[in-house]
Amino acid sequence: MSLAKPLLPQGAALAAPATRAKVMSTLFAALCLTLLPWADGLRWLLPDLTLMVLLYWCIHAPRLAGLGIAFALGLLTDVTHGLLLGLDALAYCGAAFVALMVQKRLEGFDVPRQTLQLAPLLLGKEALVLTLGLAFGRGEADWRYLAAGLLAALLWLPLAMLLDRVAGRPVPESEHS
Amino acid sequence: MPHTPQAPLFVREMGLPTRFALYLLFCLLLLALDARYSTLAWLRGGLNTLLHPIQRVLAAPWEWSQDVAGFFITHGELKRDNDRLREERDRMRIAQQDRQTLLSENNNLRQLLALPARPDAAPRVVEIVQTVPSPFSRKVIINRGQAHGLEAGSPVVDAVGLVGQVTRSYPLTAEVTLLTDRDQGAPVQILRNGLRLIVSGTGSDRLLEVRFLDMHADIKEGDLLYTSGIDGTYPAGIPVAQVVKTEPPRNTPFARAYCRPLGGVGRYRHVAVLQPALKSAPDKP
Repeated sequence: MSLAKPLLPQGAALAAPATRAKVMSTLFAALCLTLLPWADGLRWLLPDLTLMVLLYWCIHAPRLAGLGIAFALGLLTDVTHGLLLGLDALAYCGAAFVALMVQKRLEGFDVPRQTLQLAPLLLGKEALVLTLGLAFGRGEADWRYLAAGLLAALLWLPLAMLLDRVAGRPVPESEHS
Repeated sequence: MPHTPQAPLFVREMGLPTRFALYLLFCLLLLALDARYSTLAWLRGGLNTLLHPIQRVLAAPWEWSQDVAGFFITHGELKRDNDRLREERDRMRIAQQDRQTLLSENNNLRQLLALPARPDAAPRVVEIVQTVPSPFSRKVIINRGQAHGLEAGSPVVDAVGLVGQVTRSYPLTAEVTLLTDRDQGAPVQILRNGLRLIVSGTGSDRLLEVRFLDMHADIKEGDLLYTSGIDGTYPAGIPVAQVVKTEPPRNTPFARAYCRPLGGVGRYRHVAVLQPALKSAPDKP
């Protein structure tokens, strides 16, 4: 992927263009948050923050966050999970692919509407990991982990707004009215 | 091509579906390699070493807060603990004397019968630093690894009984699969009559099961199960579980027995790693 100078940036991209540093630092922060020593009883409720931040950048800076970064993050997550190498990488790539496919549409929506569009994606990722784990014979799946997908969908609104602030994106006009 | 930021003027890359297909293929290849052939230990070890310092740094504030909280214990509590520990030490000493005489007696008997000596297992105390956040497995991470001479296959015990087995050894940490993992099994013997069985995990922290039990097997509620030591992994004589319920065969020709693990499989912070039992070669005639 080449990093030529922006041809004709417009709107939000002009006011505060997403830089590689911003993307990487927020992704790293999200990964660190998931690596915190969370209580065992709450693991199944922990939303996949890494994936959410990745999707945010897939929507807002598809040239900087794509399948390659999704794959690398997935591999790192796999190692922390100690399950099968490639399981989360596959799920992350799939989610990023779907998000990039409909990127134009998602970019146009405001955050609450994005939530509705992304909820099946976030939930589907958890379901995919559980199903693939079952398919590769890793014993019984703990289906409570699906709740993490739902919680992730609920958290999309605050997270997207927080990332908007971090990235310095101007608040769209529609939110003022 | 719309004017997106950092967009190249001329598109000279593969389309999105093609790239996705390639990544998908690569992921599936990794999955298959890892699931069937377990040849990716080096990749896993390398990435783990990369993440380990980050995890340590992130866990540090939590550990400090625990230390600070632990500092403010009342004097009475300390005294009570001290008394209890002293009492326990005295009891242990008496038990230890008994053990010494039994050990020497056992050695003598083994010599008389011309049996090989029992392997001596020097335990190494390690700390559980993390549980593996996965919906499938019962695994924990301990704070010792290859650098400290830990290898995969070493049994892990606590003060009461068997806890599990080291399944992956990274440079600085190691992964212990608990006895209650669905894929774990341990060869055991009933203390009462010496019947050999294999006890396996169910995925629940409080339940183990003996799956393919002979219909007429002599196993009762309350029987204690000890490792038999015939698999070359677990040394003989570690307490494993107590039988809670036996179930007569219903749709299958086999009976089932449910047991409760004796060791604190999901509970303690410190456990001990033993040397793996050596496979005793059959004696030459």
